[in-house]
Amino acid sequence: MTPFVLLDGVHKQWSPTVRVGPLLLGIPRGEIVALLGPSGSGKTTVLRLLAGFEAPDAGRLVIDGEDVTAVPPARRRCGMVFQHYALFPHLDVGGNVAFGLKGSPEPGAAGQKVAEVLALVGLAGFEGRKVQELSGGQQQRVALARALAPEPRVLLLDEPLSNLDPTLRERTRRELRALIKRVGITTLFVTHEQEEAFDLGDRVAVLNDGRLEQVGAADELYERPASLFVATFVGRANVVRGGGATARALGAHDGEVLVVRPERLRFADAGLPGTVRERRYTGAAAFYQVETERGERLEVLAGPEAARVGDRVYLEPAGVLTFPEERA
Amino acid sequence: MSARLARPAFTLLLAWLVLYPVAIVVADSVRGDAVATFVSRPGEWGALWASLWISLASVALAAAIGVPLAFLFEWLEFPGRKALGSLIALPAVLPPFVGVLAFLFLYGESGFVARAVQAVFGLRGPPWRLQGAGAILLVHAYSMYVYFYLLTRAGLAKLDASMLEAAHALGAGRWETLRRVTLPLLRPSLAGAALLVFMTALGSFSAPYVFGGGFRVMTTQIVATKLNGELPLAMVETVALALVAALGLALLRRTEGDELLAALGKGAAPPRRPIRRAPIRALAATAGWLFTVLLLLPHLTLALVSLVPYSSWTTEALPPVLSFVNYQRLFGEPERLRPLVNSLWMAAASTLGAVALALAAGALARGQRAPRAPRALHAPSPRDRWRGPIETLIALPWALPGTVFAIALTTTFSVHAPLALRWVLVGTVFLLPLAYLVRNLPITGRAVLAGYRQLDPALAEAAASLGAGRWTTFRRVTLPLLRPALAAGGSLAFVAALGDFVTSIVLYTYDNRPISIEIMSSLRLNELGVAAAFGVILMLVSALVLGFGARR
Repeated sequence: MTPFVLLDGVHKQWSPTVRVGPLLLGIPRGEIVALLGPSGSGKTTVLRLLAGFEAPDAGRLVIDGEDVTAVPPARRRCGMVFQHYALFPHLDVGGNVAFGLKGSPEPGAAGQKVAEVLALVGLAGFEGRKVQELSGGQQQRVALARALAPEPRVLLLDEPLSNLDPTLRERTRRELRALIKRVGITTLFVTHEQEEAFDLGDRVAVLNDGRLEQVGAADELYERPASLFVATFVGRANVVRGGGATARALGAHDGEVLVVRPERLRFADAGLPGTVRERRYTGAAAFYQVETERGERLEVLAGPEAARVGDRVYLEPAGVLTFPEERA
Repeated sequence: MSARLARPAFTLLLAWLVLYPVAIVVADSVRGDAVATFVSRPGEWGALWASLWISLASVALAAAIGVPLAFLFEWLEFPGRKALGSLIALPAVLPPFVGVLAFLFLYGESGFVARAVQAVFGLRGPPWRLQGAGAILLVHAYSMYVYFYLLTRAGLAKLDASMLEAAHALGAGRWETLRRVTLPLLRPSLAGAALLVFMTALGSFSAPYVFGGGFRVMTTQIVATKLNGELPLAMVETVALALVAALGLALLRRTEGDELLAALGKGAAPPRRPIRRAPIRALAATAGWLFTVLLLLPHLTLALVSLVPYSSWTTEALPPVLSFVNYQRLFGEPERLRPLVNSLWMAAASTLGAVALALAAGALARGQRAPRAPRALHAPSPRDRWRGPIETLIALPWALPGTVFAIALTTTFSVHAPLALRWVLVGTVFLLPLAYLVRNLPITGRAVLAGYRQLDPALAEAAASLGAGRWTTFRRVTLPLLRPALAAGGSLAFVAALGDFVTSIVLYTYDNRPISIEIMSSLRLNELGVAAAFGVILMLVSALVLGFGARR
């Protein structure tokens, strides 16, 4: 199946050391893809390339079979929600949402559309409100309504939840996903938070230093990371460099790097010896910092009463990921 | 025109308006023997020296009044503080020429104060003549302390109270804190005010012209030389004055320091200290009120004199008859109304032009953001490359006294040489509004460029992502958001053009004679009431326009 959105060898070079791409990413119609990466990895640039605010040095951008690489942003029909929303302060909520609606032959059609979209985001009747008077969550929904009103082909979201306070964020995340699914629009969104990416995206694309490390469903990234970067960036991980006694005890060969998730290390009667140095209680479970005899620290996730600080314990791995040692 | 050509073309247009006339004056002035004449005449050096020391003394006097007032109104709390605090900023918004006129009517040899003194002591002649350097300095101090007052208050308001508390905690007393913390932190504000006063005083023309008498500063010297028909010498004088201005600008810029000093603290300004002891509180309030009345008195005087019919007031201390006859004459006789109409259309046209050029400059130098990338790494875009030249050219007229521009424009546009981009505009009604326009570029330019800097670039991108093209985005997003900046800059420019005297006296023709020129000729004919009525109208229109511009 040909993807609905395709970034085909897209490449943008700022300087000899700063670049994005070449990227190959296809998104099927109706899918939500999260672009996950540390800050400075080029996530937002990818979004801006697709929106048309940046022009690639090489490669093609295709939306619904149309090559849009040279199409100006105003004619790409990509709805975008900006990180700080970029609501027009001189227009009220209705004016903002109606901004992208072309003058319709029949009067009232635009007003009806505005009401419709506002109802969709749960802000029915907010047309006359000033945008400055809205809460952060409401502003975010107005930005979303404004982006959706002209019925774009693709929805682009730049850190859509980063300006909301943490308690609101989780609820908004679910509502946002439900809403996007209801509209059925193909969506690409940028985030640096793994939880957000997992929660909101059908698939997650991990970006590092301008390159795509891996694209896949959440469990795929977690269970079968394609690189050491993905293994350590997605989820918590103990990293053990090859060569030492600890690595050998966990089953690694020379020239390999070992990654063990905290929940894949178990306290056992025999195995890698160590001492519990710290215990961080999280409710249903606890994280234990275990120091091996060679001074390495490993994090173990176990029951809240599994061990006490100062206990001498043995660790047994129940699943180890190995990666070739990176050439420094 | 494509965007590629727009920036160089616009830069050239600005250079033609702003730089070219000055360059022509410089080139013409070194030709011939005018330089030798200038060097050999002691009067020339005297005028140059007078300009310099008057400007420096104006800075000192304005600071001596403005800075203490700023501390009084920003740090202390007393009855009436708020109302008085904004009232005493009033001289800033009135045309300097009106201030001079008002001063003349109040403190001049036949002004109210002189007449009162004469009446009280039974003197036969006027007790003093308001003339010479002292009179000029008095007017300068009166009209320019506002710069120090406003900028120091703004600086004090930005001050972080915790810094002062830190100084106290480290054992510094009140005076030591003032000397070692507060004043150093205020340095950018004080240097900015000093620069403003210096440049204004150096270019000041109305006060030296009306009160100078035999005392000549460079601006009045230039106009006198030009009226004598010695245009080459006037050009040399112009260049000399421009050089002093450039020198002053360079020197004061260096002491201005960086805004970082004040921006370091993020905390709140120190709270105002209420004056606890009742007698002192009453004293502060009384002083505040007295000072305000003193400052507003000239303008009240102007209003009063405008009600005095021609030749009805001779030796009495107060005018015996008051009526609206001056206003009736002014609006009843088309020839008298003419200057008002002239000033209004020229101010409007030049303001429109200056606003349009400022908008173009903003769009070309600041519009939309450069590609997102680490700043040092990416190659400069055309916008970045042309930003410096465009913004410098827009600001340049501010650094040159009005007389300099007036002479430069007369010189440049008195020759028909289309290939050299020179046409004869001298003697037409168009040269004066053109001069107003060029002189007002820094005012509108500053406002619009600041407005552009405050625009969130994401707004233009948001509009684009919603299908708006470049022009639609400008019309529906940029322009509405710039409206406050346009209103502020436009109203200031309009008022400056409306009240202009310094360029008008060099460039006016009979057909476009503005209000200020008419006021001068009324004064010569001893029609004080008519002159004052014009002054009052100028004042009212200015206040109205500025009030409109300040509306949010």
